[in-house]
Amino acid sequence: MLDHQPRPDRNADLAPGRHVPDLRLPDHVGNERNLSELAGGDPVLLHFYRGWWCPKEQAYFRKLVHLQDEAEVAYTRFISVSVDSVEEAAAYRAGLGARWTFLSDHERRWVHELGLLETTDTTHDPYAPTVLVLTPDLRIHAAFNGYWFWGRPTNEELRQAFRTITRSIRPDWEVPAG
Amino acid sequence: MSPCWLAVCATRPPDALAAADFGVEARDGGVLAAWSADDEPVPGAVKIDPRCIDPEGEGAWVSLVLAPRGTWLLFDDIAVSHAIRSALAAPPVDVVSTLVTGDDRFVGALTAVHGDDRTRLRHDPFGALFPPRLLRISAGLLGRTPTPVGPMTQRYGAANPWPWDRFPEPAP
Repeated sequence: MLDHQPRPDRNADLAPGRHVPDLRLPDHVGNERNLSELAGGDPVLLHFYRGWWCPKEQAYFRKLVHLQDEAEVAYTRFISVSVDSVEEAAAYRAGLGARWTFLSDHERRWVHELGLLETTDTTHDPYAPTVLVLTPDLRIHAAFNGYWFWGRPTNEELRQAFRTITRSIRPDWEVPAG
Repeated sequence: MSPCWLAVCATRPPDALAAADFGVEARDGGVLAAWSADDEPVPGAVKIDPRCIDPEGEGAWVSLVLAPRGTWLLFDDIAVSHAIRSALAAPPVDVVSTLVTGDDRFVGALTAVHGDDRTRLRHDPFGALFPPRLLRISAGLLGRTPTPVGPMTQRYGAANPWPWDRFPEPAP
């Protein structure tokens, strides 16, 4: 049975140190967006979730919605990706009170290429829950397999990852001399 | 890159990068004009996200929130932060930028939609800060800004308007 469980850590392409492909998908408004454009020059939380219907996702999103109050002042981006349609993603985002970008892979453009299809759910063919913390050039700093809920990063683990990345990419991390 | 400026003018300035006439539903008609310039091109000009401006852009409905001359809020005022949060959570628009002067002064916002559906501007969160004006502008000024990524509410450099969303590239 365990052999059928999708595990992102089996996908060598999504291991720390590797780069995530520059995904191009419609956002919750329907505009085609590139991951690199969304990242800008900031650290990124790239969050693959099953869909609006999953109670585990609802519980995890509540944690991220709490963390966004810190991220909004910390030059950090959040991006959530699922197979929900654009309309479902927009409604889910609004209902959660999330203020970041949701991407819709309703056409399954990337789920197979990324090796993230959750094969145990043949009803929705969703993404296996996965959280990646990326540097601005889309290099994976940390990867979390969220198939089991406790595999997902806590907000404290995310804070630590963002601190490490920010320290490495901001030349003025140390207070500039007067 | 020079900042982008916006001003309400009585007539079309010959040196403007882009300009559009307005009149419908405004108390007085006029021209909205934009410049790319290091310094304030005309008295009363305010800085705007340069991605808003497109000389080839189509006509639009605009909710223009502009503080009376000499009036402003600190950009870090909690009311400004809350309006930005509301803009991130609200249904999408085609163009949005805060309007700023100096390094720390919020003086308004421009929110716009192309097409005829002005009801999309019914809930401009920046309209709670200063009085909004609903303008129908002609073609030649506004393009489309990417939907802000979020959840960032801060500016990338003190003198820049939100949602301009990145620090400048370091000089080689």
